[in-house]
Amino acid sequence: MLKLENISKKLGDFTLSGISMEIREGEYYVLLGRSGSGKTQLLELIAGLNEADSGKIWLDDEDITFKKIQDRNIGLVFQDYAIFPNLTVFGNIAYSLHCRKTDKPTIKKEVTRIAKELNISHLLNRFTHNLSGGELQRVALARTLITSPRLLLLDEPLASIDASLKDDIKRTFRQLNRKGLTIIHVTHDYSEAVSLATWIGVIHNGRVIQEGSPDDVFGKPANRFVARYAGIRNFFRVRFSKEGLSWKAESDGKLAFNLTEGSYPEEGLIIIKSSAISIYNAELPRDTGNCFKGVVKDISPCEQGMELLVEAGELFYVDVPMNDFKKLQITDTSDVWISFPSEACIVLNGGSV
Amino acid sequence: MSRNSPFNWILLILSSLVLLFILAPLAGMFLHTGGSELLETVNDQEVRASIWLTIWVAFAATFFFAIGAIPLAWLLARKEFPMKNVVQGIIDLPVVLPHTAAGIAVLGFISRDGLLGKAANSVGLTLINNPGGIALAMAFVSIPFLINAARDGFTAVPERLEKAALSLGASRTRVFFTISLPLAWRSIMTGFVMMFARGMSEFGAVVIVAYHPMVAPVLIYERFSSFGLKYARPAAVLFIIVALAVFILLRLISVRKKETHILPDAEA
Repeated sequence: MLKLENISKKLGDFTLSGISMEIREGEYYVLLGRSGSGKTQLLELIAGLNEADSGKIWLDDEDITFKKIQDRNIGLVFQDYAIFPNLTVFGNIAYSLHCRKTDKPTIKKEVTRIAKELNISHLLNRFTHNLSGGELQRVALARTLITSPRLLLLDEPLASIDASLKDDIKRTFRQLNRKGLTIIHVTHDYSEAVSLATWIGVIHNGRVIQEGSPDDVFGKPANRFVARYAGIRNFFRVRFSKEGLSWKAESDGKLAFNLTEGSYPEEGLIIIKSSAISIYNAELPRDTGNCFKGVVKDISPCEQGMELLVEAGELFYVDVPMNDFKKLQITDTSDVWISFPSEACIVLNGGSV
Repeated sequence: MSRNSPFNWILLILSSLVLLFILAPLAGMFLHTGGSELLETVNDQEVRASIWLTIWVAFAATFFFAIGAIPLAWLLARKEFPMKNVVQGIIDLPVVLPHTAAGIAVLGFISRDGLLGKAANSVGLTLINNPGGIALAMAFVSIPFLINAARDGFTAVPERLEKAALSLGASRTRVFFTISLPLAWRSIMTGFVMMFARGMSEFGAVVIVAYHPMVAPVLIYERFSSFGLKYARPAAVLFIIVALAVFILLRLISVRKKETHILPDAEA
């Protein structure tokens, strides 16, 4: 549906370089990256706000690289909504219809319909300067959707919204996508990506460094940067070695991890998800792949229950569900045993990002 | 800082002195003008005609030159082009020129040998000693006020609002008239009022281009040089009253325009 071929653009000191990606019909594509990574600039290139220095943009097999912004039929919802402060909510939503010289009864009918869909009918006669973030978001969305865009671009759409309203807005986005609207959503928040995306692209320093389904990207992060984005905190620089048939990885702290069968480079990075590590207050009777004795150094609450920092030759972050934590009666000086299967050791390809 | 600190007192005294410097001569002039003298001046056909001439010519000059000045201001606010600083310098040039020199320059331009003068002559129009010439002289010295205020107004309009309008299918012209212009309106009106006020009060450039028909500043000068201070004063007072009334009216119109809240451009 939308295809970017080797797009490059220099903007001051920053460069988007060699970006190629493809968004399929009906996809909810989340472009994930830190602020300053180039994601908004990429969105503006797709929308036509800026022109690429090189490369091509195709929409439905049509080259739109230099097509006028007005003729692209791509809807863009700006990060701060870019609501016209001199117009009422009705005026904002009706703006594109006035541009198309739509007759007044149709404008009224269409605006009323879309306002009802987005629950902003009660705001239509108001000016926009005292609307809340959530209301502005819906006005901006209505103003864009009324154009029936071929593709909807959302620039950090949840960044200025109260946490209580985020779920509401997310539901709206999901519904739009389910109705067949292809969406590209730019964000720095990995939880947004997890909850909305059918496909994810991670952008860093003006380059797309990994693409795939949420499971692929967060299950097998291509490098340390992506892994950090997925909330993974256990990183170990290791040297790989083969002992007989089995592979081992020795960390800088001289801890040896048992790995699954496969082929490994000489050295690299392995990551272990905090949730993949189990914790016990007594040594395990059987071999679980990797088992180490350690001491709890810190305990802090986390989303899943408690996060423990365990010194076991290396520092491990371990997520423990609240029920287990209470049962184990762990304090911040307890001796503990941590264990994780060989499959939990994920080897990163790049390693150094 | 304490409310009675010496610094505050110094600020208060210095500020009061400056305000007094502006108000004292004006107050003195008003106090020295009796009601009967003022009434007599109001009934003076020559004075009334000259004040009316000053107002409408200044307004017409501002209005017609705004048609070109506002798009130029938008261009300066939005576009980067070679020699932009030079263009900006040229726009500010009339402000630093002695006004009589500006008058000489305009006169050269509109005289029979000048470019515009020749063109006007070809359609049977003489710009010297004509309201048209006066308007040109007024506009020459006052147009920077409008261009600069409008440019600042357009600069304050976030570019992304214009881009949002474009992405909604609006043409560049529609974006200009529905987004840029309404949002810069207050600054443009301020510039308009400043240009108009500056044009109305212009003497140096106008007197060289047209002694007759007499605009109010020329008439006041003429009365002063022919009959002295006593005869010039009531005309000056009347002109100030009328000019202030028009000035306040225009300011009110521009302020009454609904205030709009514009957020600065988001970080790219």
